Amino acid sequence: MGPYGSDSTTVSSTACSGPEIDAILTGTGYGLSTSGPCHVANPDYSIPFNPSDVTTWVDSMLTDFNSTSTGNLHLQPIPATWTDQICSPLNPTDSSPSHALIAQQRKEEEDSGIRLVHLLMTCADAVQHGSTGLAAGMVDEMRVLLSRVNTLSGIGKVAGYFADALFRRLYTTETPLSVTDHEVLYHHFYEACPYLKFAHFTANQAILEAFEGYDRVHVIDFSLMQGLQWPALIQALALRPGGPPFLRITGIGPPSPDGRDALREVGFKLAELARSVRVRFAFRGVAANRLDDVKPWMLQATHGEAIAVNSVLQLHRLLTDPGTTPAPVDSVLEWIVGIRPKVVTVVEQEADHNKPTFIDRFTEALFYYSTMFDSLEGSRPHHQRQMALAEVYLQKEICNIVCCEGENRVERHEPLTQWRTRLTNAGLNPVHLGSGAFRQASMLLTLFSDEGYCVEEVDGCLTLGWHNRALISASAWRVPDADVSPDDDSSVIASNSNNCINSNNISGSDDNNRISM
Amino acid sequence: MGAEQEQEQHEQDDDTMNRGYNLNDNVDILAEILTRLDGRSLGVAACVCRLWSTVCNRDSVWETLCDRHVVGGAGDSGTRSVVAALGGYRRLYRLCLGPALDRLTCSGDPADPDKQGWAHLSLSLSLSLFSIDCYERLEGKQRPASLLFLCKPVNVA
Repeated sequence: MGPYGSDSTTVSSTACSGPEIDAILTGTGYGLSTSGPCHVANPDYSIPFNPSDVTTWVDSMLTDFNSTSTGNLHLQPIPATWTDQICSPLNPTDSSPSHALIAQQRKEEEDSGIRLVHLLMTCADAVQHGSTGLAAGMVDEMRVLLSRVNTLSGIGKVAGYFADALFRRLYTTETPLSVTDHEVLYHHFYEACPYLKFAHFTANQAILEAFEGYDRVHVIDFSLMQGLQWPALIQALALRPGGPPFLRITGIGPPSPDGRDALREVGFKLAELARSVRVRFAFRGVAANRLDDVKPWMLQATHGEAIAVNSVLQLHRLLTDPGTTPAPVDSVLEWIVGIRPKVVTVVEQEADHNKPTFIDRFTEALFYYSTMFDSLEGSRPHHQRQMALAEVYLQKEICNIVCCEGENRVERHEPLTQWRTRLTNAGLNPVHLGSGAFRQASMLLTLFSDEGYCVEEVDGCLTLGWHNRALISASAWRVPDADVSPDDDSSVIASNSNNCINSNNISGSDDNNRISM
Repeated sequence: MGAEQEQEQHEQDDDTMNRGYNLNDNVDILAEILTRLDGRSLGVAACVCRLWSTVCNRDSVWETLCDRHVVGGAGDSGTRSVVAALGGYRRLYRLCLGPALDRLTCSGDPADPDKQGWAHLSLSLSLSLFSIDCYERLEGKQRPASLLFLCKPVNVA
């Protein structure tokens, strides 16, 4: 993986990450131009430039404001001034547009935007009722409209993604992302906007407070990714008054496809960081494709240690269609309660994308992701590539919500109120996130370049949103009477499961660096 | 001949007496003065001459500067060793505190005029961000991007 981020003037310099990005974009379908039914008018309507070459696209956006359209283009690149933008489709040679013309253009854009949303809803309704012919016709109509609307920002962009998702639902099957691609996209989403940072910092604060007074602590992370949440916790534990405890981290993640042990590599890095700040540290990786494949004995919870379970955007994947019991999430919550953690930190999207009817889900998703994309644009991340990949990350979520059904649909977001009920029914009590967490979150947000973000406290949980629409929530829970010593059954060795579980131990300390398998 | 040499000696003596106090001879006082500068001026001071550059690169100078701008728990040896392990106060200021303070003073709080535009950042937050950057560097990345959000956005219009 090449270095992330480069100067804004040398966007195309990191060629080594280009093919990976091409692969991601091809995988998401942007490189496809010939598949699909023959009545498709213009295959790559969704992105004006050659979609498999992001660097050229970015270069042209940044530097080439006066290029003429080429080939399949039906949208000009972003011109230097807004007035040029709205006037160029009508009258490219006119250099002094009148105000009436601008107003008319603006109204037409708005009307097109409204018409697009209306079309999207009607099309989704048709899909729900099974009239695929009608839906297909509307998809074509939307394409035509999209060519007249600016799809590089605002409602046009979101509508483009949703129209694309409807197209995929009708004609293609959605393939899931590979593990490495998902990690790359996740990393770019992490850097482009504050949602994940907010989640990590708030969860760390709750974990830190729960670990007070304990000398041996154990964190179980439900999705390790690159472990970006843990350096801050390691540092905070190092500075803890009274000295750092012995920290163990168990990272759960999918097995890497190409044979390299990604979990172990992350563990090494965390161990090195912990060693440099003199925190006694041990790491264990558990590879599992699904969280319900993980059994408590694999986590090796031991007596006397304070356990924290951390789930960032993972629990919703275990849900099923509402009304079908039992959901896998219930069994996972059961064993979480069984290992008697001191704190369970849960971060989830604040949206209701698990409704039983398609049109309801579609509408909710449209509003949620419009706000999300709005905030992405508003915060003006440094690099266009970073923003493009963050958008692909969101686009994958949209496609999963719109295109997939049954077991394939994993993005089953539920709002905080429903999670509260679910977690309370499982036997967990809420922990009030203190004012320290709120202040830290507010301060973090002031560092982001835009002022649309808002942190709110709702019954002891924190939510981060854009312009008063909450988009992500963080909450902390605990097991009642968690001070009682843990039961012995958590360390019973059960028979080995064959679901590609592989675990390894890495421990580092001041004196020696043992790596045991 | 002898009279000319005496004349030169006189002039040299006069020069020594009239040259006065040379700051560069007293490095500790120089350091003490430089600790009172803000980040930008310290960077400029580091370009004056080799001696000043050496003094300005002392981590203790940057530590004093950082301590002025953070609230909460600064100045004890535990913090010092952790910051040193993560890369030092100079790097902490350059990568994290400096850009963050610029950002905070831009969207500054007009109700605090006596702070002279110096904002405060919590130590825990700045160290958290710094530790993430340090962690990304462990992989050998030349330009970890996790702190880029602190830099002022480049206007490409």
